[in-house]
Amino acid sequence: MATQMFVVAKTYVGCGGSTMATVQEKSVVSEDTVGLRVNGESHRVRVEPQWTLQYVLSEKLGLTGTKEFCGEGACGACTVIMDGRPVLSCMTLAIECSGKNIETIEGIARSNHPLIEAYIKHSCMQCGFCTPGFVVTAKALLDRKPDPTVEEIKEAMVGNLCRCGTYPAHIKAIQEAAAVLRDVLRGGVGREQ
Amino acid sequence: MSNDQAPKIDQRQRMLEAFDNKVADPYPLEEYRSIGRQGVLRTDGREKATGAAKYTLDVQLPGMLYARFLTSPYPHAAIVGMDTSEAEKLPGVRCVLRYDDPELAGGVAVSGHELNSVAALPRVAHFQGEECGAYVVADSEEIAENALRTIKVEWEQRPFLLDVEKAIAPGAPLTNPEEFPDSNLWMVYNEGHGDVEKGFAQADKVIEFKWTFGLNTWAGPERPCGVWRWNGDFAEVWVKQQRPHIAKRAISTWFGGIPMSKIDLHCLYQGASFGGWTQMAWNLAGTYLAGLASKRTGRPVKWAFSRREDFYGGNMDAGVFYVKVGFKRDGTITAVSERGVTLNQDMPTFGIVAHLMENTKIPHVRGRTEAAWVNKGHMVPTRCEMNINCYTVNLVFNHVADALGMDPVEVALLNDGAEGHDLEWLNARKAEQGFPVRDSLRECVEKGKAAIGWGEKWHAPGTKKLPNGRMHGLGFTWTHEWDDSAGSSEIGMYFERNDGSVTILGCRADVGVNAETAYCQIAADELGVPVETVRFKHMDDAGFFTMTPDTSTNLSVNGWAVRNAARILKQKLLETAVAPRAKTQLTCFPPAFPGLKPEDLDVEDGVIFEKADPANRMTIADFIGPSGAMGPITSTVGEPLLVGKEGIDYPYRGTPPMFDHGWHIQHGTYLGVRLKFCRQAHFMEVEVDPETGAVDITKIVTVNDVGKVINWDGCEGQAYGGAIMGVGRGLTEEVVYDERTGIMLNGNLLNYKIPTLMDYGDIETIMVETGMGYGPYGTVGIGEDVATVLPALVGPAVHNALGVWIDGFPATPDRVLRALGKA
Repeated sequence: MATQMFVVAKTYVGCGGSTMATVQEKSVVSEDTVGLRVNGESHRVRVEPQWTLQYVLSEKLGLTGTKEFCGEGACGACTVIMDGRPVLSCMTLAIECSGKNIETIEGIARSNHPLIEAYIKHSCMQCGFCTPGFVVTAKALLDRKPDPTVEEIKEAMVGNLCRCGTYPAHIKAIQEAAAVLRDVLRGGVGREQ
Repeated sequence: MSNDQAPKIDQRQRMLEAFDNKVADPYPLEEYRSIGRQGVLRTDGREKATGAAKYTLDVQLPGMLYARFLTSPYPHAAIVGMDTSEAEKLPGVRCVLRYDDPELAGGVAVSGHELNSVAALPRVAHFQGEECGAYVVADSEEIAENALRTIKVEWEQRPFLLDVEKAIAPGAPLTNPEEFPDSNLWMVYNEGHGDVEKGFAQADKVIEFKWTFGLNTWAGPERPCGVWRWNGDFAEVWVKQQRPHIAKRAISTWFGGIPMSKIDLHCLYQGASFGGWTQMAWNLAGTYLAGLASKRTGRPVKWAFSRREDFYGGNMDAGVFYVKVGFKRDGTITAVSERGVTLNQDMPTFGIVAHLMENTKIPHVRGRTEAAWVNKGHMVPTRCEMNINCYTVNLVFNHVADALGMDPVEVALLNDGAEGHDLEWLNARKAEQGFPVRDSLRECVEKGKAAIGWGEKWHAPGTKKLPNGRMHGLGFTWTHEWDDSAGSSEIGMYFERNDGSVTILGCRADVGVNAETAYCQIAADELGVPVETVRFKHMDDAGFFTMTPDTSTNLSVNGWAVRNAARILKQKLLETAVAPRAKTQLTCFPPAFPGLKPEDLDVEDGVIFEKADPANRMTIADFIGPSGAMGPITSTVGEPLLVGKEGIDYPYRGTPPMFDHGWHIQHGTYLGVRLKFCRQAHFMEVEVDPETGAVDITKIVTVNDVGKVINWDGCEGQAYGGAIMGVGRGLTEEVVYDERTGIMLNGNLLNYKIPTLMDYGDIETIMVETGMGYGPYGTVGIGEDVATVLPALVGPAVHNALGVWIDGFPATPDRVLRALGKA
């Protein structure tokens, strides 16, 4: 029988994800069940306290696009977007994520985000293991900054490691996806729905 | 009307003639459609961009268990007792395999091109972190890890050594007496040509220098792993492996022998290991043990290394090297000798001066590799084994240029040649073998110099201080392009019914270089179909051997096999198109193109047509017909019920399966077998802070004569990707051990620094296409080259900035400061 307990979860609010914690929200969860909202779908998942979000996403929800590369917050391969901010899911305990909105690569792909086509066009992948983490980080960047400069792209992506060295292609793809998104925002036909 | 003048070509005969080819491609295509076209999309792009691509580590099976190894806390120690009782009692632990398990007695084939028999679970560890003693299988990796912590081991510690020169000193304790009982100097490899003493006597000047190369590793993002499931007598195995067919051969010898036909092998996308992991001495041990544990538990088992465990193996080029060079005043090099002491090289036969022998006219060359064994992991070819050769070429030419005050590019051009002969001799060989006679090195350096601004920026060493206080430097290096082109390959290919799309069959590892797309391009252009309709199904064993990224070879062997298969398949298609499609006891299906010969036809955009009358045409899809049962329901008299009804297109066509195969066999491009004609040249611009020793790379220009580009994204990706990997190897990447304890200190990505996208400056990639490669259409490889050649470029670039030579790589700030006398 699960013991009821209170978990204090930090909720990050503010534009652009740059604002640090400003409010605290109390939510009731059991120690072994969390409610996660992943890519718009609600899941109730039994978790052990030490399980990472990356582990739960890939092993329990079958969302294997969220990869573990370094396992210690050094590479960005496990990046997901949580309540609008990119977070490293290998450094985030699943039990802390109750009530959070989580967006993974699978959700970004399903939404036909222009990053996907841009990544394919510019051949941003080689072995491809780290690619989803790049796409997620880039999506979070474009969410908060629709028209990033090259330097801003580099700054946002510097935490994502690619052993195959695909970096130059990412910058082109992100710029192109940003242009498509801006076109859509202006009411253009940047992409087919 | 048949064209009697059209020649009849036997593609199978042409294929056989091309085996072990030593000449230019005699039958290139007259027209390329997808080959060499910009913008051909990767076949795996969507899968990888959307996170849908599956790797072995992603495999999840119902009831699957997870396995982890016990590892040694000591650099050299033997297990004399082990208590696993606590682990066995831990909830969730399903099986503990021990080194003293009767089923693990003796060796098992878990490695290598040849099936070397070694212990899958050894009792003795020869480096800290070595997997040994126990293999715990549990409901989760976490439980397995927890169980490992409860195992009590009685270790017998032994003396250990980490330094290669200390290891080969007289009286040194043995570092691996089980494998090398006589000496830590386990092999000496000599190479060379001419008489170096004579060459030094002919020199106007002789210089000597020493350099060292630290240990780097692959750091592949997917941890080494594997999965085993028994389906009754059938073994279903997922391997993270660049050599799926060698793995299958090994597996067939396990557990008393498993018939090859009962092994279902999967080789999913590979989270990169650059050869490294696949070359490890016992890379299949975890899979063997998973098979054993799966047998005992009745459940599938996945094993994996931890991230740290993946750091113990490394590139085989670390060591200490002593070089002596003799040269004339004009820059002509008369002799080079080099002695190297290498660290745990599993295969010390690649030499250290091979590139000088292969690429230059230097008449007297000698190399001596002394392979030492110390208490570190196995060092294996990792993109690739040519690092030492590339450093040697680079340092020899740049040191000579420095000693004479010459431009290193000029020294390179002056000494270009092959196997001790000059460029004139090499050009004569190009002509003899049917290649275009082009000066590949000169073309490469001219393009590279223009791109980096060599003419404007080149300066004497240590003379250009920038406004930011840093010193500006330019560096240049060169060598040949290579694919060692050794191997054989078998490819199956067929047109699918219904739509005429094309499937290529052949199990091979996708390591990310986009080779599969290149093969689809070759098949498409050869068959006359759109590239988008071709798929290479490479993840499942298809029953025949297909070249996989191995032996430094990929496209140069597999490209031939794919082309051969496509040409033979096309020949079959056209022969079938003019013949009765089928004859049964009830009827005869007439030819699609009656009265014509195969050579009267051609295929374009998936349509077969008569060359003399292109209006006489039929799509491949229509010709081949539908899959499945033969058309609609038939009546009792054998005719389809609906045949003849208005609007019904009865699809029964009777065409045979449009499947065929091709293959290719080739020895390597070893000395004296196939001369290397294509060159590569690379340039680097740096800023060096003389106070901190920090090196910032601001621009890299890579120039590769790839013979002919098949796939642009693939070539450019290997060039800039290789350059970035090279930056890491040259500047920051080094596996560090504690000298006192023998413990590895930085087995993680926080402390083992691979480059980020802020670490390499601008990169410009330039392709030269001289057509002088031995691959199909004149191609030569690029996948290994840049990552292997470029690390050495940091040396001359820093020298040009500071005017002093760093003698150790990677060029970390402490080494730079030491060169400046500041540390």
